[in-house]
Amino acid sequence: MISLVRIWTIASNTVREAVRSKLLYTLLFFAILMICAGVLLSTLSYVESERILQDVGLASIRLFGVAIAIFVGVGLIHKEVDRRTVYTILSKPLSRAEFLLGKYVGLVLTIWMQMAIMVAAFCLVSLVTGADLGSAHFASFALTAVELALVVAVATLFSAFTTPMLASFFSVGLWIVGQMTRDLRNLGAQSEMQGVKEATALVYRVLPDLESFNLSTVAAHGLAFTAADVWLPTLYAAGYIAILLLVAVTIFDRRDFR
Amino acid sequence: MSESRPEIIRVEKVFKDFRPGFGLRRKRVLHGISFGVNEGEIFGFVGPNGAGKTTTLKILMGLIRATQGSASILGCDVRETEFRRHVGFLPENPYFYDFLTGREILSFYARLSGVPRAELPDRVETLLAWVGLSHAADARLRTYSKGMLQRTGIAQALVHDPSVVFLDEPMSGLDPIGRKEIRDLILRLRSEGKTVFMNTHILSDVEMVCDRVAIIVRGEISYSGATESFHAGTARHTDVVLSGLPAELEETFQERFKPKLRGHGERIELRVAEKNLNPLLQMALAGGAEVVSVTPHRVSLESIFLSAVEGGVQETPR
Repeated sequence: MISLVRIWTIASNTVREAVRSKLLYTLLFFAILMICAGVLLSTLSYVESERILQDVGLASIRLFGVAIAIFVGVGLIHKEVDRRTVYTILSKPLSRAEFLLGKYVGLVLTIWMQMAIMVAAFCLVSLVTGADLGSAHFASFALTAVELALVVAVATLFSAFTTPMLASFFSVGLWIVGQMTRDLRNLGAQSEMQGVKEATALVYRVLPDLESFNLSTVAAHGLAFTAADVWLPTLYAAGYIAILLLVAVTIFDRRDFR
Repeated sequence: MSESRPEIIRVEKVFKDFRPGFGLRRKRVLHGISFGVNEGEIFGFVGPNGAGKTTTLKILMGLIRATQGSASILGCDVRETEFRRHVGFLPENPYFYDFLTGREILSFYARLSGVPRAELPDRVETLLAWVGLSHAADARLRTYSKGMLQRTGIAQALVHDPSVVFLDEPMSGLDPIGRKEIRDLILRLRSEGKTVFMNTHILSDVEMVCDRVAIIVRGEISYSGATESFHAGTARHTDVVLSGLPAELEETFQERFKPKLRGHGERIELRVAEKNLNPLLQMALAGGAEVVSVTPHRVSLESIFLSAVEGGVQETPR
């Protein structure tokens, strides 16, 4: 029986660890610096300076968010096993699934908190420079938050069975490929070879379609979007995260802590 | 300790294989071990380094899975989790989140163990006082000494008032005062009706506190039973240092008691069997010798294994 209290105990402790870590403050500082640097970059252009400002800001939030998610996520479980803190924790009435889910929830909350600070910095810069801030921006932020939750799930999965180095390699690789799966499928669909069509379609189905979470162009250019542009990717991410965590729990449950 | 007490820990024909690397070859570290622990006793699980003590304890704690066989605590399969609210565990050289304070870490473990929210602050303060860490309750664990961390480990193992406590090398790396404190604590746990399972490779710890013992050598149980019976089967000696022993008496001693003898003349050192100690001392004193020292020679676990296992103890790498 999964206990939400125990999951929350692990999650809140994970957040507390992040709040007390100097490393994440350093990363956050650089992220905010990049958002502010957008102001300087926008002065280089006489046309569409506000768009450049927002492009840089939105990209910074996304890239730093992903960097923090992978950087911290890959060590999430490995660190606990390596430092042997897991010994005393798993000797308590806590299942391995609860532990892993708690760590995941804690890291997602931590990253969302950091993202909230980056978004606040972005909004402040936009207001000061007179750039537009509309619903598309907030839809873009929401989808980035969902994407980060998915990236953390990827990193958690790899962290459950391999070293941080390999987990970083796999997670970054999957994120890069995830940006291209849609283009790959479209490209494959134009091929005359049935095998290529099927292979690219399979890759698209199996690997995450991370481009579906990118609304930054819509936000920066003030383009129209629908509610489905937000909730469909959110639903897709929820399913994908559930599968990733299920696999992670299955692997973690079979591990021996020697 | 009465054998009629119910058995609350049972290990039955447990095998454990490890794969040392990525290859297919497996290395067997436990060879079908079986033993039981009765309620309310202090049970010593002893063996040399690499014998399989910690592997067995980790199987009991659900940290590793047995390849074959079964293990249960309080009648529950060790792979279950809910019964662990009645179990406390202190690992060897415990590691904790060092960004937390003593009070925070105990609250964390108490919450995980299901201590009701209303009882939690009192329980934490009681445990802090019990292990003598009240003065450092608000200091981060990264500032704690090894002894303080060991006491934190004991506090987290007891924070939910378990009925069974597992201790892995609880006196490892502690100074004499620290070791005595832990011994007193183990005895106190028994007096409160708790069952204590203690892993150790130090026989003197077992002699002082354990009611029953199981000895594991190279993944096999070589003895299991009461501590007294274990001693009855091992020869004990005493080292006696004498000065001014007359030469003729020295010869008599050699003929009659066949002691191991070092030195001669003014000061000699003899190792005699326990049964020969009194007659030897009486004869020495009557002969005008002076007794410099009498030291009971405790048989070390390692020496027992060295004599028990042909070729001596070989630590088996995992």
